[in-house]
Amino acid sequence: MKKARIFLLVICGLLMTGCTSNKDSQIVNVLNWSSYIPDEVIKDFEKETGIKVNYGTYSSNEELLAKVSSSKEGTYDVVFPSDYMVELMIGKNMLEEMDISQLVNYENIDEVFLNQSYDENNKYSLPFLLATSVIAYNSENIPKITDYKDLLNPAYKNDIVLLDDERITIGAFLQALRYDINDYDDSHLEEAYNFYNQMKDNVKAFDSDSPKSFLITNETNIGILWNAEAILAQDHNSKIKIVYPKSGYALSMDNYVIVKGANHIENAYKFIDYLLRDDVCQKIIDDYPYISTNKNTSNYSEEELKNILSNGSYIKNVSENIKKFDRLWAKMK
Amino acid sequence: MNKKHSIEKYLFTIPVIIYSLLLILLPLLYVLLISFFKSDSYGGMIYTFTLSNYIEIFNITYVRIFLKSIGIALITTTICLFIAYPFAISLMSKKETTRNLLIKLVMVPFLTNSLIRTYGWIVLLRKNGIINSALIGTGIINSPLSLMYNNIGIIIGMVYTLLPFMILPVYSAVSKVDTSLIEASYDLGASKIKTFTKVYLPLTISGAFNGSLMVFIPAIGYFFITDILGGGKIMIIGNLIKNQFLTARNWPFGAAISIFLIIMTLLLVRIYKQLGGKMDDLGGM
Repeated sequence: MKKARIFLLVICGLLMTGCTSNKDSQIVNVLNWSSYIPDEVIKDFEKETGIKVNYGTYSSNEELLAKVSSSKEGTYDVVFPSDYMVELMIGKNMLEEMDISQLVNYENIDEVFLNQSYDENNKYSLPFLLATSVIAYNSENIPKITDYKDLLNPAYKNDIVLLDDERITIGAFLQALRYDINDYDDSHLEEAYNFYNQMKDNVKAFDSDSPKSFLITNETNIGILWNAEAILAQDHNSKIKIVYPKSGYALSMDNYVIVKGANHIENAYKFIDYLLRDDVCQKIIDDYPYISTNKNTSNYSEEELKNILSNGSYIKNVSENIKKFDRLWAKMK
Repeated sequence: MNKKHSIEKYLFTIPVIIYSLLLILLPLLYVLLISFFKSDSYGGMIYTFTLSNYIEIFNITYVRIFLKSIGIALITTTICLFIAYPFAISLMSKKETTRNLLIKLVMVPFLTNSLIRTYGWIVLLRKNGIINSALIGTGIINSPLSLMYNNIGIIIGMVYTLLPFMILPVYSAVSKVDTSLIEASYDLGASKIKTFTKVYLPLTISGAFNGSLMVFIPAIGYFFITDILGGGKIMIIGNLIKNQFLTARNWPFGAAISIFLIIMTLLLVRIYKQLGGKMDDLGGM
């Protein structure tokens, strides 16, 4: 019963915050990935503009979709879906069109990141940060690795951590076999399964929350993980090397979008514009070293960025074929 | 007088009734309903009746996950029983104050979130963790033991998290056993083991079954333990359901597995009742 009471209290609290937030117009309701923007940036924005940020987080695109589609229209103003989720939300008519004339700092966006396949003319979205999957390994204990097939070496028993994400991880196996990351052909998926079976004894764990900890604590010497995680691991141990696998890797672009029916559109633009500023962007990538889409704070050359974009692939919505990935994932575990 | 009493009764039970209807019954009915729908490609639902979600459960891949989950849950339950009985019986010979203190200590972990406690185990169990460092430091072993990211880690986590649910009902049953019966057993020359199997066990079997239910059922669903201590390499029913609602965006199938799990649970409760267990014992301790 105690639990029930606490639960009711929480519900009341939630309802109450919902009430107050609708009255006050000097606010913006933001829903973002957990650990993506430093708290400091939000506080500075509030101080500078006097706009209060109601900041919520999610840990997967699906959770974002569930949150937005199950809440009343106007609950959220700015959210940060990844590529395929932008496409899906456009398809479901959930997004407002992006009016770039409202954004003074629009010019800071590097053009290489515009006009991507999921939103051809950036009608609804603007790029925020780019994540890519990479292989990271401890060069002290492991000789040079260039591609996924190197991970099949029986010497690396129990020495690999993979992302606990069915699309990225199965996608990596598909790419290792020179298939497209979004391929859902049954026989190709079966081959991907066999590829995993060859690697199985080397895999220590699947982890999406903090795979870098595995490398930092020497729990494993090799990992397939997000670039920012790999860079943070490298900060701890300079012996850790980062490789963009030769046969391809996953790209995941997170984007600014404004949710259809948002109540604070003006503030939403102010918030996005603030994040587009050079100094703000620098603060964000200092803490979360993903690839910046701001050309003035870029930590990669134009040439490198072009390479990264052209050799990687976006995860696309494969509609009901996701069930095939899910069944394979269940079979792997 | 009687009428007033019943008004009071309703007054105090209405919040509970509303609570159960709104927050337990309605969501359950909703889960039952959507388990008969089809899923569309965007993670939504198509409102046509189908049994395909239930048929899908019998796909060999999923049957294997069910069997694996049941296996893990059975091992967890057995280990919990083997720890709980000696603990409960040894408590009986303690002074009442010590006994109460020890039982309170069993409940102390409930004060902290179980997720955080599970993360705590990583520090102990990992390759360079406290246990391995201590064992290597004292020269007992040469290379680190694999204590987590495998079945061992999962079992450790499950037993640790669920043990109080076994100890409490077993203790409550054991404490009701008349000590003169135990003394009589010893007086008649029975050994400790014989006293346990012939006196304690038959008198406390409902407590043991009660505890087993409370351990077995959550052990099938505690996906965070397999995720954290099993390194996400092993999937139990809990993970499978979670995946359907998140990554696979297949709510109807997730709902169907949930309903299937509820039916399994109800069957177990039925067996419990048939063995003479009381429903009241399942609720309060």
